[in-house]
Amino acid sequence: MAKKKIDFEKLKEEIKKIVSEVSEIPQEQLKEDARFVEDLGIDSMMALEIVANIEKKYKIVIPEEEIPKIRSLKDVYDIMEKLLKTKKGK
Amino acid sequence: MVEWDINKIKEVLPHRFPFLFIDRVLEVDVNQRKAVCLKNVSINDYFFEGHFPQHPIMPGVLIIEAMAQSSIILFASLKPEIAKLKPDYYLGKVEAKFLKPVNVGDVLILEVEGEKILDNVGVVKAEAKVNNESVAQAKLTFAVKINR
Repeated sequence: MAKKKIDFEKLKEEIKKIVSEVSEIPQEQLKEDARFVEDLGIDSMMALEIVANIEKKYKIVIPEEEIPKIRSLKDVYDIMEKLLKTKKGK
Repeated sequence: MVEWDINKIKEVLPHRFPFLFIDRVLEVDVNQRKAVCLKNVSINDYFFEGHFPQHPIMPGVLIIEAMAQSSIILFASLKPEIAKLKPDYYLGKVEAKFLKPVNVGDVLILEVEGEKILDNVGVVKAEAKVNNESVAQAKLTFAVKINR
């Protein structure tokens, strides 16, 4: 079976939407490299809610030790890319 | 799985009268990350004095509080080494729906399921039931802070 290509642009949009909904920050203000805590005021509870929402939506598990490393939207994209690739590969 | 009596509940929950809203823990499943707790709603509950004198119904915020206390039971079962340090538990966010009033004499069953629980934060899905019918549903986010 041909490997289905993951549409990363669409994925990025969806993740941005989740982050925007939880943090109540408009999507246009969510820059890729803005730091969650320092620049956007996202606290650990919001961050976990974002993680939980993403896990539910994409049926993946973001390993516990990876979570503290996620500091910006770009970090989320990177880890999602990694996780979804290995998921497809299985 | 052995039920928890009130003494074991008091070991985990810092709450006391008149703010302890769990009478018994029926089940804790660490693998499924689920806990089921029980509260007997009695006319002797102090809040009925004012809510409301002619029409006693359990305040929705206290159903949420009971869900939050059930979440602590779940957290303590999943992270016993942290619970042992008697941390402070903070409620961060609640999204709730109230479906039916809870009346005097009802047995309130509180089911909580961990969506994601880390050492210092958690997200749980909670449902309160009476006679196996859903009376309230909520998603709670909480933080756990160890006092140094």
